[in-house]
Amino acid sequence: MPTQDNVCEESVYHRVFHSLSASLYNFIYFKCGNVSQAQDLVQEAFIKLWENCEKVPPDKAKSFLYTVCNNAFLNEVAHKKIVLKYVEKTGPNINEQSPQYLLEEKEFEKKLQTALTNLTEAQRTAFLMNRIDGKKYREIAEILNISVKAVEKRMSQALESLRKEIKNI
Amino acid sequence: MSEKLLHKFLNDEISETELETLKASEVYRDYINIAAQTAQFQTPGFDREQLWAKLAEKKKAKEKKTVKLFLYKNMLKYAAVFVLLVAGYFYVTNLDATVSAGIAEKRSFNLPDDSEVVLNAGSKVNYNKSSWNNERVLSLEGEAFFDVAKGKKFDVETTQGIVSVLGTQFNVQSRNNHFHVSCYEGLVRVSFNGEDIQLPAGNSVIIEDGSIVARQEISGTQPGWMFDESTFENMTLENVVAEMERQYGVTITLDNLDEKMRFSGAFTHKNLEAALKTVCVPLQLKYTIDKQRGITIYGD
Repeated sequence: MPTQDNVCEESVYHRVFHSLSASLYNFIYFKCGNVSQAQDLVQEAFIKLWENCEKVPPDKAKSFLYTVCNNAFLNEVAHKKIVLKYVEKTGPNINEQSPQYLLEEKEFEKKLQTALTNLTEAQRTAFLMNRIDGKKYREIAEILNISVKAVEKRMSQALESLRKEIKNI
Repeated sequence: MSEKLLHKFLNDEISETELETLKASEVYRDYINIAAQTAQFQTPGFDREQLWAKLAEKKKAKEKKTVKLFLYKNMLKYAAVFVLLVAGYFYVTNLDATVSAGIAEKRSFNLPDDSEVVLNAGSKVNYNKSSWNNERVLSLEGEAFFDVAKGKKFDVETTQGIVSVLGTQFNVQSRNNHFHVSCYEGLVRVSFNGEDIQLPAGNSVIIEDGSIVARQEISGTQPGWMFDESTFENMTLENVVAEMERQYGVTITLDNLDEKMRFSGAFTHKNLEAALKTVCVPLQLKYTIDKQRGITIYGD
């Protein structure tokens, strides 16, 4: 990205939005589990970026957005149990599966969703950023401001916790 | 070891052989399963286009709000500047226009309503251009002839009285304590010292020290001075001499003479010596012209 780019320029701002909005949205959704809340927080963050466009160069926009969005999330009164609902991306291959299998799969999904809810916010966020958003550990570490080792720890803990809950151990 | 491979798997950096190794363990098989299944999920409620549209709206709304807040915060500053600007504007537009005729000069000009004013030497008129059409009032120091366009009241204010007319031609002379108004056409009202008189065409009035000293009929359509001649009717010598000074730009000293001596007559504006003669001879006075000391008029 050329250094003369300025976020105050509409085209640059739009480009930033286009590349970062989805991940940012996911990030916040993983935390709060509420669609409208996530949408609002993302909008707030991007508006703040616009208001501070003179002070934030394009390469710093990502960390700015995540920080602002996270802070906004923390500011919101949210002492409710987070229920995450996930939509399955690809439909099951119906031809190949038996009804029994499909049922089992549905069951599994439900259990998984619930289990995800029961993870700590830290574990869940890191885990879903990796799984759903497809982010590598290094990027997750950067965004969450933690070490790669810490990311590894959260991932391991998440899987352990999920497995235990699903298997009813 | 398995942990390492697990993370490789999660980072999508695992090789086939490594994956097989990992799958050997039931626990890790479960992990892989859970991980894979979770990856199938999508977060709901994300529509980039829609979000952008909403964002654009919010942005606009905030910008408007911000502008309002900004104004409010600096309200006092803006008010102060505004007041100064308005005051400045009013001051400038209300500044009076001044027209003056200097020594040995006659000057004519038009008022905004096309009324004509001719100033005699050493005279000054002051009026407000922008409010002229609402109120025709000017102040006069010295002497001027007015040809007033028909319309609303027209006032000439002097320190000795006010002359009010409605479409007429008249001459006003306000010098020292000599207030002389001549009406050539139409009708004129002269207010002075709490009194009010009407002056029809062909008449003139002289007021000195707040009271009428003479009223007389006059002829002609314009005062003599407009034809380069100053005419006097029972005028004090000091005023006659003062007029001569104005017309010629000279200094005249009266040497041991009663300046209240009266003179009736006229002198030309075109020849100083001739002028001096026409004044001095009837009064049996003599004069000298000295390059350094100017003109001296003295008695016999």
